[in-house]
Amino acid sequence: MDPIITEEAVNHNVPTPEILSQAKVISSQTLLLVSLLLAVLLAVGFFAVRKRSQSKGSSLLLVGPSGGGKTAILSTLVYKRTLRTHSSMQTNMASIALPPSTKSLRIVDVPGHPRIFDQFREYMPDAKAVAFVVDASTISRNGAVVAEHLHRVLHVLISLPPSQSPPAFAIVAHKCDALKASASATAEQLAINRVRTVLERELDKRRTSHAGGVGVESLGGEGDEGTDLGGLECTGNGEFRFAEWEGGEVSFFGTSVAVGKAVPAEDEKGKDGLAPFREWLLEL
Amino acid sequence: MLDHCSISHRGGIVLWSRSFTPAAEQTASSSSSPVNSLIRDALIEGRNAENKYEKDGYAVKWTFVNNLELIFVVAYQRILQLTYVDELLEALKALFVQLFQPFLSTFVASLHVSSTGKVAAVNTATTWDFTKIFEKWDRLFDDVLRGLENKAAQERKSRLKHTSIHPETAIDTILPSDADDVVPSDSGATTVDEEQIARNVQALKNRLKARGRPIAGGRRRLEAGSGRDSLPTSDSDTPTKQKSKKSKTKAQRKWGDEAPTESDMASLDFSYVDVPSPNTPAKVADVTALVDQSSLGIVKDGIYEVKDWEFASTSESSSSVLTQALHKGKEEKSSAGLLSNVFARLTGSKVLTQDDLKPVLEGMKQHLMKKNVAKEIADKVCEGVSESLVGKKVGSFQSTSSAFRQALSSSLTQILTPKTSTDLLLSIRTKLSSHFPSSQQREPYSITFVGVNGVGKSTNLSKVCFWLVQNGLRVLIAACDTFRSGAVEQLRVHVRNLSMLGVGPNGATDSKGRVELYEKGYGKDAAGIAKEAISFARDNDFDVVLIDTAGRMQDNEPLMRALAKLVSTNNPDKILFVGEALVGNEAVDQLKKFDRALRDFSSASGTGKERGIDGMIVTKWDTVDDKVGAALSMTYVTGQPIVFVGCGQTYTDLRQLRVSNVVQAILSD
Ligand SMILES: Nc1nc2c(ncn2[C@@H]2O[C@H](COP(=O)(O)OP(=O)(O)OP(=O)(O)O)[C@@H](O)[C@H]2O)c(=O)[nH]1
Ligand SMILES: [Mg+2]
Repeated sequence: MDPIITEEAVNHNVPTPEILSQAKVISSQTLLLVSLLLAVLLAVGFFAVRKRSQSKGSSLLLVGPSGGGKTAILSTLVYKRTLRTHSSMQTNMASIALPPSTKSLRIVDVPGHPRIFDQFREYMPDAKAVAFVVDASTISRNGAVVAEHLHRVLHVLISLPPSQSPPAFAIVAHKCDALKASASATAEQLAINRVRTVLERELDKRRTSHAGGVGVESLGGEGDEGTDLGGLECTGNGEFRFAEWEGGEVSFFGTSVAVGKAVPAEDEKGKDGLAPFREWLLEL
Repeated sequence: MLDHCSISHRGGIVLWSRSFTPAAEQTASSSSSPVNSLIRDALIEGRNAENKYEKDGYAVKWTFVNNLELIFVVAYQRILQLTYVDELLEALKALFVQLFQPFLSTFVASLHVSSTGKVAAVNTATTWDFTKIFEKWDRLFDDVLRGLENKAAQERKSRLKHTSIHPETAIDTILPSDADDVVPSDSGATTVDEEQIARNVQALKNRLKARGRPIAGGRRRLEAGSGRDSLPTSDSDTPTKQKSKKSKTKAQRKWGDEAPTESDMASLDFSYVDVPSPNTPAKVADVTALVDQSSLGIVKDGIYEVKDWEFASTSESSSSVLTQALHKGKEEKSSAGLLSNVFARLTGSKVLTQDDLKPVLEGMKQHLMKKNVAKEIADKVCEGVSESLVGKKVGSFQSTSSAFRQALSSSLTQILTPKTSTDLLLSIRTKLSSHFPSSQQREPYSITFVGVNGVGKSTNLSKVCFWLVQNGLRVLIAACDTFRSGAVEQLRVHVRNLSMLGVGPNGATDSKGRVELYEKGYGKDAAGIAKEAISFARDNDFDVVLIDTAGRMQDNEPLMRALAKLVSTNNPDKILFVGEALVGNEAVDQLKKFDRALRDFSSASGTGKERGIDGMIVTKWDTVDDKVGAALSMTYVTGQPIVFVGCGQTYTDLRQLRVSNVVQAILSD
């Protein structure tokens, strides 16, 4: 990054002698003005460079515990039909076209099995968006385990290098079809609320348990594999809230897919359980 | 007789599946389905070199097609002892790949988009109508399955009758290398010359003759329904066919204990060829013959029977495709291998074969054993890796050994990465904070340390204790080693040291001691002492109880029973096995038996709750340098994580394992 900055800075320096030479009578006032202008120009240039060198990924990362429905979502988006799935043993990387634009998006579906889950780090540098997919129908039972996974993701998100523009992050409360809508809320809202509440509670437990704790050192020096996971910092009174999470905005979606079925044709758009999620992808 | 069969991609997408019973249908989509369990508990754990997985009364078998990243899985009731499953898997594999190769390649490519843009074209160009593409597979599957089932039924019969002459070996491979010599024609079914037609007509006549003949003696009666009746769902769509089949008796070609003559064999082998004569009502897809052809041991018995003649396949192609697929498979074993290698060299990639991998595999096994990995584990891990590489394409610049190394590295990482949380502090705090706020007292968190003699149980127990105290927890140590003299005194010294050192992070020492010892001398019942200790801890507001047990050999049944009793009466939150990093081949035996004994005896005891080892502490880590193989052996055997590593004599010499570190150490030269 450094050489680029200096190069750009030189570029901006070039016109300044001309400006100076054109101004035959140099009053101290104009000098001040010019140098001010120069400063502004330099600042703008610097930011432009910075912006440019901040890499923006091009993938959507689907992460989350096993059985959440990542592969089912991938299948629905890529093949336009929800094929049956079993636990994934390896990462799927497929690409989809996003209709209005000609650009395509790569979808990376990382298996949720705890022994391979960590592989999602490899794909982080290219992530434009990260979606944490959770089975909303079992979240109450699996809260602690899901929260542990999520904690790892949050930790990685918050400690991304500044050279990468932070990916958009969403928590997808999936399998809404397994929930019953109540009088006051749709199944989607219910799912989102449930997932949010359970995860906030569990993450807060993790936060307090680590607060003031002395971890056990990892063999071979420091590393983030140990128990010392950060990433749960919040503004406010410290209690964990997604809305106050320091890592950025967290979007929530309630989704579902119909396993074994083809996606209904375009004109019936309302029926697709992934609709809100799709819109989010388009906005990225 | 099968319960479930599926063909899927390693990434999780199921291309085709079928459940044969309502129960299997129901579990198929749940996370506890046999396929999911297989993947979770065996394949991801690096156990893919084993050839059978059992779970909940199911036996599950599988096979891979590595270049297309496919897995073929068959699940059936374990008690059934189906003999044809291996054959079935091989046949399905050969056929499926042969039939759908182009589509499958496109499909797999669509799941390996390395960067955006490029492959998008492929995506839009293909219509992904999976149902349509695999439409004809259902029937073919039925054909293959039925053929094998029938054959198996006959074998069973014949085994009962002529046990002595039956060669069982042929079942193992669908395409034995000698099949080429015996099968008279390799042209497949596509070209049918006159001679063949004549043979077929002859075969048909024979069959009809046989049918007319009264069957003499029960020994010749072949069970008509044995294979089919057990297929309720698969046959439900063809009820009429089934009925028509049942109404006919089986034709018996030839009987006798002597080997068949050449011409007999020929006519048998040709019987699968379609009969193009116009007055034959339908064309034949005689899968039985097809499959038998490839395992001639059965045919040689002379009890081979051509049946399902009347089971007319509507598509001519189905049978020819079958033959082609099987022939192709044979060719690949011999000449095609060479050819494809040359081709691969030209295109800048090569396909890994068993032969390529063999020397590397052996080398790696030796290497792992040098790193102190138990032999059994080294074998299994390396074979698993090799299994996952056969048939894979690698770039021509990548050597076989570097491909192997890479695959081994990710396999080791997977095996060593914990699948359950190793965050002890969190689980302690969670338990302590989840007590009922009402009258009920707070339950302390209890950890039992088990292991063989002299591995450092007490020492590492005190290290853990020190760490817990550092985290502001009050710890009670229960001296349940009432066996070895000096054990209690040893703990007493530790407790004295710790209570002097034991200053919490905030620097304040409570009025109450942070560490105490609960002891009842020697010779008493350990389970009872542990129980008392826990209730003492409850009453006196301790957070954690660490239970020290006597070291015992895994073979010592009375002592193992006693340990199981301790476990089942006290139901500790964690059972940690303490083992030495120095342990080599014995690691396997030790852990397996410890775990097994604990499970067996604890489930047999009062509460009936089965408990095994929850995690390990590997001690004397500092004495092994980079020969850290024991870590791999231990995690592989138990599937449980290494919670701590002990690396010295002082209380602070407790570490957490870093997976990448261990993998590096194991792979380093
Ligand atoms: N009812 C319902 N079931 C779903 C939905 N989405 C997925 N499933 C089912 O949930 C199970 C798990 O889905 P997968 O897509 O395989 O889960 P995954 O997140 O890829 O899991 P891993 O690959 O193990 O990480 C499958 O049996 C799906 O058929 C949904 O919207 N509703
Ligand atoms: Mg998946």
